[in-house]
Amino acid sequence: MEDKNLQSGTNLAASPTANWEPRIVAFLCNWCSYAGADLAGVSRFQYPPNIRIIRVPCSGRVSANMILDALKAGADGVLVSGCHPGDCHYISGNLHARRRFGLLKNFLEFLGIEPGRINFSWVSASEGEQFSEVVKKVTGRVKALGPTRRLVKEIRID
Amino acid sequence: MSDTNAKITEEIRAKARELLSSGEIAAFLGFTSGSLPMTTRPFVAKRPGDADKLIWNSFCVMNLANYLPALLESLEPPRGPKDPPPAGPLPKVGVVATGCCSRNIVVQMQERQVDRSRLVILGVSSRGMVDRKKVMAAAEGREPLKVEEGGHTLKVSGRDYELEIDRWSAVRDNCLTCAHNNPVISDYLIGPVSNRDVKDRFAQIEAIEAMPANARWKWFTDEIASCIRCYACRNACPLCYCPTCFVDDSRPQWVGKSTEPADTALFHILRAFHCAGRCTDCGACESACPMGIKMRLFTRKLSKDAFNLFGAEAGLDPQAQPPLATYRPDDPEEFLIVEEKK
Amino acid sequence: MNILRLDINGLLDCLSSWAGGQELYGPVKDGWRRISRDGLEAVVSIPPGAPKAPIKTFFLAQPETLFTFSARHGDDDAWIPTPPKEAPNRRVLFGVRPCDARSIALNSMPYRDDPYYQARMDKTAVVGLSCNETCSTCFCKSVGGSPYGTEGLDILLTKADGGFIAEVLTSKGEGLLEKGTGTPAGDGDMARLKALRDAAQAGTSDTQALSASFKAKNLMQLYNARLWQGLSEPCLNCGACTFLCPTCYCFDIQDEVVRQAGRRIRYWDSCMFPLFTLHASGHNPRGEKIKRVRNRFMHKLKYFTERFGALSCVGCGRCIRECPVNIDIREVIRDLLSVE
Repeated sequence: MEDKNLQSGTNLAASPTANWEPRIVAFLCNWCSYAGADLAGVSRFQYPPNIRIIRVPCSGRVSANMILDALKAGADGVLVSGCHPGDCHYISGNLHARRRFGLLKNFLEFLGIEPGRINFSWVSASEGEQFSEVVKKVTGRVKALGPTRRLVKEIRID
Repeated sequence: MSDTNAKITEEIRAKARELLSSGEIAAFLGFTSGSLPMTTRPFVAKRPGDADKLIWNSFCVMNLANYLPALLESLEPPRGPKDPPPAGPLPKVGVVATGCCSRNIVVQMQERQVDRSRLVILGVSSRGMVDRKKVMAAAEGREPLKVEEGGHTLKVSGRDYELEIDRWSAVRDNCLTCAHNNPVISDYLIGPVSNRDVKDRFAQIEAIEAMPANARWKWFTDEIASCIRCYACRNACPLCYCPTCFVDDSRPQWVGKSTEPADTALFHILRAFHCAGRCTDCGACESACPMGIKMRLFTRKLSKDAFNLFGAEAGLDPQAQPPLATYRPDDPEEFLIVEEKK
Repeated sequence: MNILRLDINGLLDCLSSWAGGQELYGPVKDGWRRISRDGLEAVVSIPPGAPKAPIKTFFLAQPETLFTFSARHGDDDAWIPTPPKEAPNRRVLFGVRPCDARSIALNSMPYRDDPYYQARMDKTAVVGLSCNETCSTCFCKSVGGSPYGTEGLDILLTKADGGFIAEVLTSKGEGLLEKGTGTPAGDGDMARLKALRDAAQAGTSDTQALSASFKAKNLMQLYNARLWQGLSEPCLNCGACTFLCPTCYCFDIQDEVVRQAGRRIRYWDSCMFPLFTLHASGHNPRGEKIKRVRNRFMHKLKYFTERFGALSCVGCGRCIRECPVNIDIREVIRDLLSVE
């Protein structure tokens, strides 16, 4: 997919124009959500092309650093998705992650980051349709918020 | 010096002298007086004669637990990175600990940073430490040259003024809402035990939560605008012991090096988040900050959520797991997006 | 040198013209703020002592952009450095204490050939305000300065008899004052100034004595002195002292690339941080806290003094006031001088 905005780089934190499309970084766990995304593709479930998928071994691997780094780099939204509780390939990775994400989401909202910028979900390998629904929901939320401004690092070049 | 403090000082000195003389401990960690009014210095007494330099007052704001892992290591016989730990008992350290400091020792025990058998803890119940910045504000910009502590008052005097303020009005914010001012672990208890009852422990946080999102963002960015990235908050914190801090990582570089607003914000968010569920609200970060940033409010919010969501309070039980190192099957997950199978 | 007498209205006129013609900065509360024409009153009464924020921000920008570049493959100028287009604006720093002014002069020695520092120096005029009243943490006199010192200043104002005596010290200073500003100072004003200076120096023997004593000390004896152990024990190894110090000028350089726009920045670094000396191999010659603490004081008191002739300390007292564990450089100086 040729993405004009991604190529032009500097405008990633773009102004809300009529054809502005959000960019959402999605951290998907290897065992469930990534496979779920794959299934969505194979099963031809449509979902908005706004997400950029990063495959991680487990949702427990995703740290606050990574989520914030995505926001700093100008991502308009972040989605982290893992296995349903009880299904984790590593038994408890997602359960540890759940505590962390709950705190982080509350904390960022406390500091004034808009709710909806960071999103968490459980999607299993058999839930292709659910995956497309999650992406639709997240994209809708982020679109409603508009381009990200807070926490974005800017370098001005003349 | 108030009578209570004088008595506690005497008892700390006597105990430290006794422990050092008998050879039970190799070093004693406490406070000594500073060169300016309202300052103290963390101090390591190694000879019985040093014990007379130890003091106790309302300005002992640094958290001594911060020094413990390095101090314990420095007393071990030198060995290479692959050598086995020496056989036999290692030298012990004595330390003065208030409620929060003792809780930080518990956190360090949970995280295997200190060995309880190498510590002799002199527990002191905290009356609440005084915030130097609040006293300065009360003096309205005039330099305090002498500050005398009474029972419930502080007598501040300078070149051409003298004023008496209520001690409680100058106590640090974290001490005002502290529910654990008595040490949770100790070998000896010194001074009177406090039975203060605190309500509205999280009132400050609730007030911020009640603000609209834009106002909160403004509050956050204004608060950290003066940050010079000196890392005094990080270095004063007894929870911060990573060999390489995330701010020093270069690949990937999580946080830029200058005082760019996004970098400063990320530093404060990640620093606070690293303390989630582990922070005892000792206030050392805020007391250390040269710019007067109230970064304690960030960690306090995380403590509040850890308490409300997981029922966890840091540093109360050496056997417990830190809340982010464990889980329960029924942890709250309302924040998750779950699409039902159709 | 031209000496003038200014009343408060004359001073406000000057400030107003500086605030209009160029950028005017002054100490407001703890920091240096841009002063607009409507806010002149804020800087007329300045509390004693140096403000918390150091003056070095104006000369050693945090960060200084050395150049920018495009990091987009396919751009014609990709990876080609472009010097920053914006030259620093002309500006006046008002209310600078003589200690801070002296730090500008001291820092310009190691930065003599640095185009970025010098460009900022050229564009900046420094108007000082002498200290009729000092703080308990001030010790400029013992490190070679004076509450009425003129080093590094273009104009020095001294409050006297309800007005100000203005010593115009450089041609840049002359350029700041419009013709007809103030009245030439009379003999009484001169005598008053001399009396104030003499009174400030009374009791201090030789202002250069300390740097001479440090020069005479044996370097290795100081380096191996026993006092470093006890001194470094309470130190948190934070950078509060170095970042607030007006004469700490160490920096690091890094390339930043964000969304394919790049820049090379020079930013403040501190010898208190382990990263300061960390080698690529992983070896760190100053890996322990004690070595880093020693370096900070040895640099200020010994290395700099041997190289440039003066102590790299102006006695502003910021580090003493703001150190979280109250490490007091006056005690360090005293203890080092007694090392045999």
